[in-house]
Amino acid sequence: MTETDEILQYLNISSDEDLFADIPGRLRVSMDLGSPMDELSLINSISKTAGKNIPPEMNFLGNGIYDRFIPPLVDEIIGRNEFLTSYTPYQPEISQGILHSLFEYQSIISDLTEMDVTNSSMYDGFTSLAEAVRMAYRINGRNEVLVPENIYRSQLSIIENYVIGLNLRIIKYKFGNDGLIDMEDLKSKISDRTSSIVVANPNFFGLIDENSFHVSEIKKDALLITYYDPVSLGLIIPPGGYGTDIAVAEGQQLGIHMNYGGPLLGLFSFKKEYVHRSPGRLIGLSNDNAGRKAFVMTLQAREQHIRRSKAMSNICSNQALLAVASLAYLSIMGSDGLKKIALITMNKSKRMKSALSHAGVAPVFNGINFSDNLFYFDRQEKLAANNISGGIRLSDLSDYQGYKNSAFFSVTEKTADESIERLAGIIGE
Amino acid sequence: MYKQAHYDEDFLNSFNTGNDFYMEDVEDTYPVSIKRKKLELPNVRSVDVSRHFTRLSEMNYSVDLGMYPLGSCTMKFNPKYADYVASFPQFQNVHPLESESRIQGTLEVMYRLQQLLVKISGMDFASLQPSAGAHGEFTGILIVRKFFEVKGELDKRDEIIIPDSAHGTNPASAAMAGFKVVEVPSNSKGLVDIDALKAAVTPRTAAFMITNPNTLGIFDDQIVEIADIIHKNGSLLYYDGANFNAILGITTPGIMGFDIVHFNLHKTFATPHGGGGPGAGPVAVKAYLKEYLPVPVVVMENGKYSLYYGLKNSIGKVSSYNGSYGVVLRAYAYALKNGNNLSLNARRAVMNSNYMARKLSASFEIPYKTLKKHEFVLSTARTGRRALDISKFILDYGIHSPTTYFPLIVKEAMMIEPTESVTKKDMDYYIDVMEKALEVPEDTLKSSPVNTSVGRIDEIAAARNLILKWPDPFENS
Repeated sequence: MTETDEILQYLNISSDEDLFADIPGRLRVSMDLGSPMDELSLINSISKTAGKNIPPEMNFLGNGIYDRFIPPLVDEIIGRNEFLTSYTPYQPEISQGILHSLFEYQSIISDLTEMDVTNSSMYDGFTSLAEAVRMAYRINGRNEVLVPENIYRSQLSIIENYVIGLNLRIIKYKFGNDGLIDMEDLKSKISDRTSSIVVANPNFFGLIDENSFHVSEIKKDALLITYYDPVSLGLIIPPGGYGTDIAVAEGQQLGIHMNYGGPLLGLFSFKKEYVHRSPGRLIGLSNDNAGRKAFVMTLQAREQHIRRSKAMSNICSNQALLAVASLAYLSIMGSDGLKKIALITMNKSKRMKSALSHAGVAPVFNGINFSDNLFYFDRQEKLAANNISGGIRLSDLSDYQGYKNSAFFSVTEKTADESIERLAGIIGE
Repeated sequence: MYKQAHYDEDFLNSFNTGNDFYMEDVEDTYPVSIKRKKLELPNVRSVDVSRHFTRLSEMNYSVDLGMYPLGSCTMKFNPKYADYVASFPQFQNVHPLESESRIQGTLEVMYRLQQLLVKISGMDFASLQPSAGAHGEFTGILIVRKFFEVKGELDKRDEIIIPDSAHGTNPASAAMAGFKVVEVPSNSKGLVDIDALKAAVTPRTAAFMITNPNTLGIFDDQIVEIADIIHKNGSLLYYDGANFNAILGITTPGIMGFDIVHFNLHKTFATPHGGGGPGAGPVAVKAYLKEYLPVPVVVMENGKYSLYYGLKNSIGKVSSYNGSYGVVLRAYAYALKNGNNLSLNARRAVMNSNYMARKLSASFEIPYKTLKKHEFVLSTARTGRRALDISKFILDYGIHSPTTYFPLIVKEAMMIEPTESVTKKDMDYYIDVMEKALEVPEDTLKSSPVNTSVGRIDEIAAARNLILKWPDPFENS
């Protein structure tokens, strides 16, 4: 007698079909989902599908997601089954491993950004930004949010979706000819209706935006939301260093594969006075009944499973595993490693600007770029013909009306100098 | 007896063994006006990073270690072939802005999974964009909202009805999209109280949001009548797909009369859940709602796959790029490998749930005496013992506790979902331990657990004296 038979006998039912006796006959369906596959055939089949992808010879794609070096130890750590196959730590006594890790993740991102508190992750950078706008509204109840006029279309769409139920108006502020925030324009738009001001640094043109360091001086009582690049913080002044109230970012670059853009990691930090208004999960330090250090999910009364329709957010699954990946990445790199990666990236951008200029393709701005570089360029077909990925049009990413025939070429520490030279050679022809 | 490891593990930022990630010196000519003054990441050798996380991992319970019957959260074995194919560099190294002609393999997987989700849900079109189940719910509710906006009825339709047994994400998602939440009670059978529903449905009702089988593990056979009530009122019926694994291949939300469905790929298709995420929450809809889906969706023409942005009334974007592709790929592998066995998995999961429910009914009260689906809820109220204490006690036996104190409508609730990936031996062991929890002295329960990394934790202290980051080792130096 098989195990199934034993169980069915115990249940006193004759066939497993009877397990669905509660589903009325007219609701029953039959569907062909295909023959089961053996494991070897499955792997062969999916290998074949994977083989239909054609990797580029050179890749200059960026604008939020980057092909950075991932130390093999990162994958090793998050591949450990004890992390990989566990669930949300609802029973903390038996889940200290993930809780301790997530507490350290909160800590390391708080240190990196110089912010007081970081939650234990959001879905991705853009939803983090949208949640930040919601959080600011919860805090001050004001009904205008100021966003950069060059904001990515998808980012704006997500913000619009996230504030759909709120009485909140989105207003765009301008950029100067140097590609940096137009401070006069921004100042003229800040009022006692302003809930929050969104700044990006590096900004959506790819420039380190020095003006963003001074927005807090003119923001009055509005909250400053900074969208930053976590790798840039190896060198650049962090959001907490210039009066940011809520700092958000995409964390993919911190040890996470591109995976066609998902799953990603939303970084979300803020000043401590706002903790009760914040979305997502928080891991807190406490102790057990023997006085030992112990971690738990805390302030759960803000969350959907307790507060239901009054919750600070609807988040249940977050990106815990990827938070651990970013923690491992930052620990392996250390301060010096991250600083050098930031520097190499910026040096490569300089090199790219110089090489393409010499090839007759002018950069749009003279400022300091991090990964993304905008050029006057519209001969994308030339790239495809040479097996090169990149040259994303500004107009493909943003509704911004300026610089019509411009495109992005992005670099990371993995971008070879020879690749930059070759790119210049090909598009200069 | 179980004994979990305990290490008095230091914080990474106190190791100070010297970072050994080597990179050559690079030129630095940038102005001081953009530079940060200090950066103090952990200064630790990679061998210590490795050992730190290995020790921490030993202090963590997981599906690969043993039974994890979290009702409502569906923790089943995560097959390794799925992780293996997700690690193929041709998939892992694809940038989200890569041109479609280079990534036909990637798009094919998305397209095929979209088609599969459509088929198993009885819907017509799907989008893979949402990043998690709750994110899928929010997306679905945005579709509801846009639908009524286009019809010019949004001013009037500002309420969403939700049963009191629903997951907390349902009311939270509805509220987030700007709707007022109206709760309807369950009846004595644990099903939707039809009279209460009829009373709640008004011209203000935009949608009714439910899961079937519900969180009590009961299939609501009134569903066609419910759909009728909702549709006659001009409202939409939303399916929370959290419990879909119980009916996969047996029935569909489509045939039950639902208009919008979200899926939890990590629950239905066994993708690993990483300590709380990532997940993936695709949304599928009936044909008349296709134009409202988030973009892009993957389409196929003459064997070529491409991203399609042209949906007329699309709600736009809900996540940064193209959804949780890594999770989608694992789910696809699982679906392809199992094929028609997907419905056998559902049968097995239901059988196991009924087995445990029947066995445990000897010692615990199991409200609602009907056939169970994937999960069931027991109450410890009449045993005189608290669900919390029992849940802590069973940890000492090397098994994870069920979900406790949910759904809110059952006193001292423990919600158990064994899934198809447990054996009879696993279940019998679990049942033994649950029964033992009623026999041991009360003190033993109250002092549990003792074999886990740490003992019972002071959660109130954690909330009162909030410590959310490690101490700065340089603070006092």
